[in-house]
Amino acid sequence: MNPALIVGVVAGSIMSGTSLLYATLGEVVGERAGIVNLGLEGIMLIGAASGFAATALTGSPYLGIVAAALAGAAANMIFAYLVVGRHANQLATGLSLMFFGIGMSALIGRPFVGVLITGLPRLPVPGFAPGEVGARLLSYDILVYLAAPVSLFTWWLIFRTRWGLGLRTVGESPAAAFAAGLNPQKLQYQALTFAGALGGIAGAHISVALTLTWAEGMTAGRGFIAIALVIFAKWNPLWAIAGALLFGGVEGLQLQLQAAGADVSPFVMNMTPYLLTLLVLIVWGWSRQSVAPAALGRNFVGVE
Amino acid sequence: MRLDGATLWACASARAKGFAFVTAAALGVFATLLVAAGKDPLEAYIDTLTYVFGNAYGFSELLVRMIPLMLTAVAAALPARIGLINVGAEGQLYMGAWLATAGALALPDLPAFVLLPLLTLLGFVGGGLWALVAGVLRALRLVNETISTLLLNYIAPLIVSYFIFGPWRSPETASYPQSPAFVEAARLPTFFHSRVHFGLVYALASLVLYWLVMTRTRIGLDMRAIGGNPEAAQRLGIPIIRYILTVMFIAGGVAGLAGMAEVTAIQGRLVSELSPGYGFIGFLVSWLAGSSAAGIVTMSFLFALISSVGDILQITQGVPYAVVNILMAVILFIVLGRHSVGSVAR
Amino acid sequence: MTRSRMIAAICLLVLGLVAAGPVVAQDKPPLIVGAIYVGSVNDYGYNRSMKDGLEAMKKAIPGLKLIEAENVPETAESERVMEGMVQQGAKLIFATSFGHQQFAFNVAKNHPDVVFEHAGGWMQAPNFGNFFGATQAAWYPMGVAAGKMTRSNTLGFVVGVPIGYAIGNVNAFEMGARSVNPKAETRVVVTGGWSDKAKEAAAANALIDQGADVVTMHVDSPATIIQVAEGRSMSSIGFQSVEARELAPKHWITGLGFTWGPFMTETAKSVIAGTFKPAMVREGLGQMMTIAPFGPEVPANVRQLVTASGDRIEKGFNPFTGPVTDNTGAVKIAAGESWGGDKMGNFDWYVEGVIGKAK
Repeated sequence: MNPALIVGVVAGSIMSGTSLLYATLGEVVGERAGIVNLGLEGIMLIGAASGFAATALTGSPYLGIVAAALAGAAANMIFAYLVVGRHANQLATGLSLMFFGIGMSALIGRPFVGVLITGLPRLPVPGFAPGEVGARLLSYDILVYLAAPVSLFTWWLIFRTRWGLGLRTVGESPAAAFAAGLNPQKLQYQALTFAGALGGIAGAHISVALTLTWAEGMTAGRGFIAIALVIFAKWNPLWAIAGALLFGGVEGLQLQLQAAGADVSPFVMNMTPYLLTLLVLIVWGWSRQSVAPAALGRNFVGVE
Repeated sequence: MRLDGATLWACASARAKGFAFVTAAALGVFATLLVAAGKDPLEAYIDTLTYVFGNAYGFSELLVRMIPLMLTAVAAALPARIGLINVGAEGQLYMGAWLATAGALALPDLPAFVLLPLLTLLGFVGGGLWALVAGVLRALRLVNETISTLLLNYIAPLIVSYFIFGPWRSPETASYPQSPAFVEAARLPTFFHSRVHFGLVYALASLVLYWLVMTRTRIGLDMRAIGGNPEAAQRLGIPIIRYILTVMFIAGGVAGLAGMAEVTAIQGRLVSELSPGYGFIGFLVSWLAGSSAAGIVTMSFLFALISSVGDILQITQGVPYAVVNILMAVILFIVLGRHSVGSVAR
Repeated sequence: MTRSRMIAAICLLVLGLVAAGPVVAQDKPPLIVGAIYVGSVNDYGYNRSMKDGLEAMKKAIPGLKLIEAENVPETAESERVMEGMVQQGAKLIFATSFGHQQFAFNVAKNHPDVVFEHAGGWMQAPNFGNFFGATQAAWYPMGVAAGKMTRSNTLGFVVGVPIGYAIGNVNAFEMGARSVNPKAETRVVVTGGWSDKAKEAAAANALIDQGADVVTMHVDSPATIIQVAEGRSMSSIGFQSVEARELAPKHWITGLGFTWGPFMTETAKSVIAGTFKPAMVREGLGQMMTIAPFGPEVPANVRQLVTASGDRIEKGFNPFTGPVTDNTGAVKIAAGESWGGDKMGNFDWYVEGVIGKAK
């Protein structure tokens, strides 16, 4: 186990995990309000395409990220209107949103395939000479540096503010929230706007920071990994950090192992996030822990 | 309840009119998008109709697309009747394909009339067992089936990839990761010279059986009782656990048949990209159809037609095929936005 | 039906016919050619090279009509797309990605009057031919360039799918590097697919983390890997399309590109003349392949070496001449033996100096 490998794995998992973390945080907020969004994959794709397009058009990756957040939030409003305003089935609406995102992102991204952009610059933490281990490990784009603070902020938002209390109440029992004088619908819309913005940013990180390209379907199922990650993290933004590193690390780990000469099956490794989540769920089910918001999905969780 | 012809017709035509409106509205929204992108939607729509209805190949491809959709829709509809949500048809399809491939590769010397029924059985069992995992977890009250079937969806294709990159890697095309080609005897027959294959029979049989069971048997009655009010059903002595397990197994099995048909009829081997989301689209088809057998046929037809629009857009207008998903989504959005549809469990 | 509705219906019908009219009234082109790409033509890579070749063919035959479809997956879906092109009147179809072979073959069976050319396979039929660049030997001069330009003596190679041909490319690369730099080693990372941008970025980063200062690849599009390398100030060698050098203005060394144009033009002409004969065409440097221009950091003596090496290959030098040992020490090509073009798909071992498992 050479040190370069360890450095590489950690660096790799931080890079891959960042977009997962943003997506997970958004979904946590939404689910805390009682809404499960299976269309997260679609939101991420729209964010990736819009972010890339905006960066290509304006030349500024920062504007690109902002555009991605706006696009993600806007797309999620379609979902919000249907689910909150019209009381539509959350699963069906979520899946429809996923398909919408696949198609919309293809349409938006098409003129920009192959366009070269200046991606989010990597900002090294000062104090390391180039080539040193420290320089390699601590040189990331701004979204990576912001990931942990945003998680903390989300945690604070959910658990330490009035708004967050209202949110959690709605997620446990909309009726109780209503009786307490809150406006469940307004809170849910707000939650979904926040979730949409974060989902868009998550997608944009992949196109504008990691790969500097746009290709159809480039999120490759990360939206669903994020949904699994929400459960794995027990709907808690702080645990989400650990989970994102872990799940993000899985992908990077097998590539780093290869580069170091070891032999590992990429497919078995890629299964681990899902298997882990399933395992965790079984353990909770066994111990009768009920950690999910009670009114999540209105019949999504909660057997009886 | 006695359903006479007049009532049925009134019901059906009311729904049809409602749906025609929805489709027209969606086509309009999609057309606006296309125009904004500088394309010609009228030409695309006309081309699609000529292609699908004026052309034997176009029409046969429509049927080819409908087959897996109808199967995965039944896979979602059946559990829906007892209040279970199965979004795992995608994974069940892959596992059906996987087990069928195992059989095809292990027994190449059997004659077709023995091999094909065997492969069909394997396909059914493969998908069924995969769904059963979720069923068991639900029956034991450990994990909600929506989430477990969703997670299993992503594990199944990885298992398939592992095998085609590893133990089942085709030596003759060591150049390309896929299983060896199936022998002629393992190929599901097609009709005439099109790609419409025997899977159509599986799909129609599944639908007919589904309809018969749900409307004409005691089992169907029990199932609807469970779906309506599980506690009351339990008090009436209906063995819920047994139903959960059986229904999930059968539902997964039907989806597994879709996978088996894909590898034995269309692909002729196991490959890593078997399904462009048939499992999810099937779920949506079933949901739109209110889990009714006739509705499933209609909705599958509609979605297959939409896919054809995508083909035409790609070939004649240079629009990526993926864009057609917008049309599909808009139809769904409009339906979702109107009053609640059908009787899918909550 | 009321009168106003009838009038409306007739108007719609007329509108429809009018819309269809221009399509019918066009001049008949000498040939309609269809092409399916597995990815996007703007990939600075494989698909771009195919597109460039087809455009060259179009220019060479005035009036020729080209129907294209991008992002056509290597599944049964592709049959549908090719059928659609045949319905549109295509008489020559280029199936440009390896995975399209069986499906192109199926469509060819149903349409004996349409000619199909597949890139990278081996199947043949009276109306089905095969073509590709003989890439393996061409990688040797790339290795020479890398071996000379590396300071860390670690080279990085990202492979999409570890097929025999790709492994052969890596082998020729390492052998070329070793021929000018006995200490050069090549580390290989496999992403598992021909086009997965996120994995390619992670793979490139992993190789650089492990010390590689020259990175190259065999994936559909070199864009992501080159951009990652350039972003980290590492050198890159491109593959598939020479246009990739635009992505690395500072640290580009050189690259390999395909020049499909002449072959495609010839094929189209033969189809028009009715003289098409199916064949398995494999051409290397000087014909279907070319060495890309050098980047600004490459000194004159290196350029000379690489060009000379390329000339040698063109003139027939075969780097796969024994004795050749693999990276476990076993002799894989005995002294006096030579592995020719027909064996290029058989590589399941890496040469000495390559760090990786070919399985």
